[in-house]
Amino acid sequence: MIEIKNLKVSVEEKQILKELNLSIGKGEVHAIMGPNGSGKSTLSYALSGKEGYNVEGEVIFNKKNLLELNAEERAQQGVFLAFQYPIEIPGVFTNNFLRTSLNSVRKANNQKELNAVEFLKIVKEKAFELKIDPEMLSRPLNVGFSGGEKKRNEILQMSLLEPSFIIMDETDSGLDIDALKIVSNGVNTLRNQDRSFLIITHYQRLLNYIKPDFVHVLSDGKIVKTGDWKLALELEDEGYGKFVN
Amino acid sequence: MQEYQEIKESFEKFIQSISTTSDDLDFRKKSLNNFLQKGYPVSKDEDWKYSPLTNDLRKFTTFDFPKDQNKILPDDTKELYEHYAVIFIDGCMVSEDITENGFSIKKNNLFLKSVKKEGDNPVLNLNNAFASTGYLIELNKNCSIDKPIVIYNYFSKVHQASFCSFKNFILLNENSKATIYEKNIYLSDKEYLITANTEIFLSKNSDLKKYNLNCNNKYSTIFNFSKANLDESSNLEFFTFSENVNSCRDESVINLNGKNSFASINALQLQHSGFVHEIKLQINHNEEETKSSQFVKSALHDESIAVFQGKIFVDSKAQKTDGYQLSRALLLSDNVKFFSKPELEIYADDVKCSHGSSSGSIDEESIFYLRSRGIDEKSAKELMINGFLAEVIDKVSNKQFREIFYKKIGHNLENA
Repeated sequence: MIEIKNLKVSVEEKQILKELNLSIGKGEVHAIMGPNGSGKSTLSYALSGKEGYNVEGEVIFNKKNLLELNAEERAQQGVFLAFQYPIEIPGVFTNNFLRTSLNSVRKANNQKELNAVEFLKIVKEKAFELKIDPEMLSRPLNVGFSGGEKKRNEILQMSLLEPSFIIMDETDSGLDIDALKIVSNGVNTLRNQDRSFLIITHYQRLLNYIKPDFVHVLSDGKIVKTGDWKLALELEDEGYGKFVN
Repeated sequence: MQEYQEIKESFEKFIQSISTTSDDLDFRKKSLNNFLQKGYPVSKDEDWKYSPLTNDLRKFTTFDFPKDQNKILPDDTKELYEHYAVIFIDGCMVSEDITENGFSIKKNNLFLKSVKKEGDNPVLNLNNAFASTGYLIELNKNCSIDKPIVIYNYFSKVHQASFCSFKNFILLNENSKATIYEKNIYLSDKEYLITANTEIFLSKNSDLKKYNLNCNNKYSTIFNFSKANLDESSNLEFFTFSENVNSCRDESVINLNGKNSFASINALQLQHSGFVHEIKLQINHNEEETKSSQFVKSALHDESIAVFQGKIFVDSKAQKTDGYQLSRALLLSDNVKFFSKPELEIYADDVKCSHGSSSGSIDEESIFYLRSRGIDEKSAKELMINGFLAEVIDKVSNKQFREIFYKKIGHNLENA
């Protein structure tokens, strides 16, 4: 259960999110749709702990106020942000990164860290399910990956870390239909009764593949309408015009 | 020249103490005279503008020299794989000569094969005047050495001599192939001057991989000079790993004299504290269809200072030259300094040359990405710095040595 209460976010003097309230139940998939500049990406960064934002309000998750934790602590608690543009890091090998990440999360949760052999066994299985070429894992992180490969790599990280609250920021951007299907299948396999999703998107297209329980319209820093997945269809037909002042 | 009077006296004493040929003696005298004309380099000299040596060399006005003693290399400095060991301790060669089928490694006695030509590099002139020891490696035609040659250049905590001057010679005859790893270890807390002058000759189709390690020098002043001459279709791969080395200049001059010769010169600087390290490279494309690549990465912490001067020179007859140069510095504190001087000097019209140099701090977006995956800030930074440095280590073509250098930066190989 995630409870976002009176969330206000500003950058320098500019107020981007204005008293945003949202509660996401266990196992629920919520979609947030909105036009450019409505604050969608800011919401994802504020929830995942990126520095440089002035954040007020409360985000209660696992009985803790997320806003009091730094980025790595939130990840260790089970928050996962799937990036719109996953970062390329030359020289850092994907496998090394994945194991460091997984072991950091395991260590924070008092679980035994995995040795190289144990880790490789798990990562190979997961990569296979996501149709990821194991050769990709021995390359530097996201460097020279296609748009689809980068997003599949995000889903692979998600499936390794097994987070309980997943925020997906414009995951469909830059994906062709085949990649979109693979990524959506990956997400759908991870859906279960304990895991909550917040899917941020411009277009309804992604929601054809990952069917949300609720759809919210974000405009000018606030949620202005909430409905079920049919709201997404409505938006696709009519556009955001009527919600924008 | 009053300030060099003592150096002159040291020289008189020094030549009394050695027995050598008249040619050699003559060359030494000429070299000293050349040195005395200009004295130590100053920062006004363009070639020495940012060099830490211009200040530090002035400390050395009188010299005493290494004495042969029975010393043993500590076990923890020995490499654990099979290799041919050449050992210098406190400026004296302590290992036996090696002569095997196809090659020999000997003490460079009397410097008979060395080129006797004094130049305008003052420190090199000083080196030539006072040369006291060194190695001589020769490979016969078609000889390919399967094990690496490791040169241990170990300066112990009790090292006393204030001046050590090495002169080394490497000759690879046609079709021969070798890997040489030179490990420089500086433990003494005395102030002393070390100069090394390595001449490298690569004949047709020969292949030399030369890897160098400089580590942990606080007090000495070091000048490492290499000059390589490459004949047709020969290959030189050069990599220098410098970690926490103060007051040191690594200078290389590479002459691409034969068609299809190729030199790949790579270097890494990982510096903490207020240490100053300088890399100076000059690649001379003297013949058609030659290729060179320079790649330098510097990670600078605390108040450290790094200098990179790299030049690609293309002679008017060196058409179809392919020259590449890139230096990148990661500035990890507000108090570090990086001086970069990339140069191209081109007299031919059908060439491909590029150079680039950049310096900047660690990318915050990347740090956030790593932290958002549960990796704490400190580890995320380490991962980024290692990744940055790993890119230049990737240029090391010998897998065994690539892994040795990866380990030195704490790179985790288990997952590879």
